[in-house]
Amino acid sequence: MIRQVRQALRRWRPLNSPAPLTVLFARFQNILKLNNQILEMMADMNDKSGGDYVFDRQYIRSACGDMTDLVHTLIDNFNILVQGRYRELHEPFHRISREIDGELEGRRHVPDMPFVMRYKDITVASAEVVGGKSANLAELKNKLAMPVPEGFAITLAAFQHLLDENHLSVKIAELLSGWNGGETTAMETSQRIRELILSAPVPLDMQQAIRKALSVVMKNTGNTRMGWAVRSSALGEDSEHSFAGQFKTLLNISTDGVLEAYGQILASTYSVPAMIYRREKGIKDNEVAMAVSCQQTIPALKSGVLFTLDPLAPETEQMTLSAAWGLGAPLVDGKMQADQYRIMRRYPHQIMQMEVVRKPERWAPLDGGGCAFEAVPPDRQDRPCLQEDEVLQIAQMGMKIEKYFRKPQEVEWSVDPDGNIYILQARPLNIRARISQMVCDISDVIQDHPVIFAHKGVIAQNGIAGGTTFVVRNEDDLARFPAGAILVAKQSSPKFAAVAGIVSGIITDVGSPTGHMATIVREFRIPTILNTGVATTLLTSGREITMDAEQNIVYEGIVDKLCLYEFVEDAFEETYEYRLLRRVLKRISPLSLLDPKDRNFTPRACRTYHDITRFIHEKAVAALIHLNTGPVGGKSRTSGVRLKSDIPLDLTMIDIGGGLTTDRIWAKSIEITQIQSKPMLAFLTGLQSGGVWSTDPMAVDFKGFMSSLTRTFSTHQAGPKEIGRNLAVVSAEYANINLRIGYHFNLVDAYISEQMNDNYAYFRFMGGVTDQTRRNRRTKLIAIILEQNDFMVRLRQDLVVARIKKLDSTRMAEKVVLLGRLVAFTRQLDAKMSNDGQIEHYLLKFKALTTGGPVSAT
Amino acid sequence: MADNDKTSILILDDEEIVLRRLKPVLEKCGYAVETFVRSQDAFDRVQKTDFDIVITDLKMEGLDGMQFMGVVKERSPRTEVIVITGFATMETAKASYQQGVFDFLAKPFKVGEIIETVKRAENKLKNASGA
Repeated sequence: MIRQVRQALRRWRPLNSPAPLTVLFARFQNILKLNNQILEMMADMNDKSGGDYVFDRQYIRSACGDMTDLVHTLIDNFNILVQGRYRELHEPFHRISREIDGELEGRRHVPDMPFVMRYKDITVASAEVVGGKSANLAELKNKLAMPVPEGFAITLAAFQHLLDENHLSVKIAELLSGWNGGETTAMETSQRIRELILSAPVPLDMQQAIRKALSVVMKNTGNTRMGWAVRSSALGEDSEHSFAGQFKTLLNISTDGVLEAYGQILASTYSVPAMIYRREKGIKDNEVAMAVSCQQTIPALKSGVLFTLDPLAPETEQMTLSAAWGLGAPLVDGKMQADQYRIMRRYPHQIMQMEVVRKPERWAPLDGGGCAFEAVPPDRQDRPCLQEDEVLQIAQMGMKIEKYFRKPQEVEWSVDPDGNIYILQARPLNIRARISQMVCDISDVIQDHPVIFAHKGVIAQNGIAGGTTFVVRNEDDLARFPAGAILVAKQSSPKFAAVAGIVSGIITDVGSPTGHMATIVREFRIPTILNTGVATTLLTSGREITMDAEQNIVYEGIVDKLCLYEFVEDAFEETYEYRLLRRVLKRISPLSLLDPKDRNFTPRACRTYHDITRFIHEKAVAALIHLNTGPVGGKSRTSGVRLKSDIPLDLTMIDIGGGLTTDRIWAKSIEITQIQSKPMLAFLTGLQSGGVWSTDPMAVDFKGFMSSLTRTFSTHQAGPKEIGRNLAVVSAEYANINLRIGYHFNLVDAYISEQMNDNYAYFRFMGGVTDQTRRNRRTKLIAIILEQNDFMVRLRQDLVVARIKKLDSTRMAEKVVLLGRLVAFTRQLDAKMSNDGQIEHYLLKFKALTTGGPVSAT
Repeated sequence: MADNDKTSILILDDEEIVLRRLKPVLEKCGYAVETFVRSQDAFDRVQKTDFDIVITDLKMEGLDGMQFMGVVKERSPRTEVIVITGFATMETAKASYQQGVFDFLAKPFKVGEIIETVKRAENKLKNASGA
């Protein structure tokens, strides 16, 4: 807080004040400062999780530590302000900080999730509790609409429940520490842990949940004859760590046998190879948790495996496909002869080579569970088991999966007697070492390809794509968009989602990485460069190009090796650090305390640091508004006064020295003409200025005005039911204005005197709760306007912080008028800002507003 | 790996994620890159080869980044060293070790920032040898 304000405060002494206002206001200022730091830091951490940054675990640890310290200090400062009335905030605070510490130490926090989840109900949010395999299957099914057989996951919550009910965690930890300390062998340890798990009864509530899921799936598919594939779905399995073959897989298990199979899979968590694998990979004991996937067996006529890139000869740019009669398990294990195909990776996936072998046996499911070899009818033994169109369909599906996961894939498939193709599972192929070797001279390879353009526009999703360009001008173009092509368009459009499954990459002239389409391309991980300004000018349909949306370069021709090179890199999203940061952010930044009038707006309901911070700001403002209200020392009096004005914003003002002229210090309300505070007057002038309000003939009250601001989010979230009071603390030269916009308090803090060097204005705007795209668009516009008006602006996601200082009093007052105008103008940007192109439009409107007379901003 | 005309870079950081992200990025820019997660291994490596550029973290177990830098500089004074370290340790690092460090970069940094820094170091090397 600045010196001048302190001096003003010292002059001001309320009668019979329980605590000097000086002290309380200083506390309040301090709370605001901490509040700002926390919000900025939160936005900063969200920024880091975006992919542009290289960060390590140390960063995550120290950022979380700083954040925890700040929130703790905030709670303490707040409790001094409110005389300890909200000490209970320490309870959610400690819970959250423990959860964060747990994540940092790799202690798994098993959220309160159901024991069983159908594939169709698994979302990105629940991926952590269903394990790698089920999460992958759910993504294939739900995001890519792949034909995945029905099934469900038995979650980590179930695993934890089983351990808890049988008091196994401590026993297992003791046995493991014996092994780690060299007292017991891996074999002994493994044996004893597996016995513990196998002899532990599955709790009844879990049994019920599993039985129910089994019958629901059978009812849905109408298939009651086939058994179940029961497989491990450990955390990180099939993504960061392959764990290939470490855990058990049980095929065609009868419905009655699923529970027992579940126990066996859990026990395999502690097989000797799995234990040793974890030790080598540095996976800690406390990170171990096993979920299980139960998938209905397909009555397969034929099955096989597709490698979307030949791991032995990646330079050929071919896939390999093997196929045999019956179920595919022996083929996966390499125990059976199969037909072999080599297929071009590039669309239209020409078959380059086909080798048909004699297939006298097939692996067939037995009634009542289990499988066995049986003879193939003689007329089929020498026939190729796949038709050409089936080969192509499987190849296309494989490429679609590869494009999505950004790694070559090993895809297990089956075809049922009706000719329906199913994807049983897909996992990344590890060919990194081989490709690295092959492309070590990548820079030389690139040199042979002319650059069409470079460093134009912004990357919305990184990655590399090679393909033929296809310019999309309208929806007809979109309807005939060729699979595997690179989409070129003037503007970005959410309609491109229609081709998300088949497009290799997207380049546009106009568009912003915060737009709606950008959200879609990130979701589908489609390499995308937006806002290049030149794409449709330089690229016509039918041209072969390679877009490097890592370095932001578009090359002539298809740089195969560059395309392969991408596989060497880890998809950033799949690194442990990325997931860790996202996980801790879940405890920090979502806002669940929305409406201060809600019954649940309590310390107990705080789920995140953001909730706590939000709660405190709300209550701190309320504390100041209600300061000295009510009987003090037997007398009744108020120190805050409410403003009467044409814009009846519910504003309470506290005068700390010369900010208001009132004849009677007991006055309950005042007119604008009684305001002496320079910055306050300037802000109200801006807020009231004609053009801003002229489009709305009705009397606009501040409630309506504010809820119109929040209407932006209304598709997901109803606006606040009631907007509470706003607060300004003023002196002749100072104003600290706390305004609710959406669910956040937004701050104007300004000082205007004749001492030019002391003058400043500070503005903090934070968007809303949901629909990140729109709120980012609005904050971006606000940031641009402020920048154009000489503010120093920091924009991070939906948070704008703007500062300006050392202007003479006239010019500083103009800046504060502008802030008022801007706040009011923002009201007009709700539903209208549906695309990024409109940012420019509204910039011009705002400019007209500030220079000319009343202008409609529609 | 002084593979003829390529600028060679050694990266040492005890957090593998940093290596995993930097290596491909720098390779694509045409550098010959070797990465080490254990300072002892990097130490052994620089005994055998002079690298053009060394990128190292400061706080690591065993031999720390500054000792490592000393070893590198002693053997090959022309090598440019870029220090990457956490924000918290940055100020002390700058204060104590201004000498001999080409530049400091606080983690987390943007991919573009490290590329730009490496390019500047490369230019300095070229100018020095060309002069």
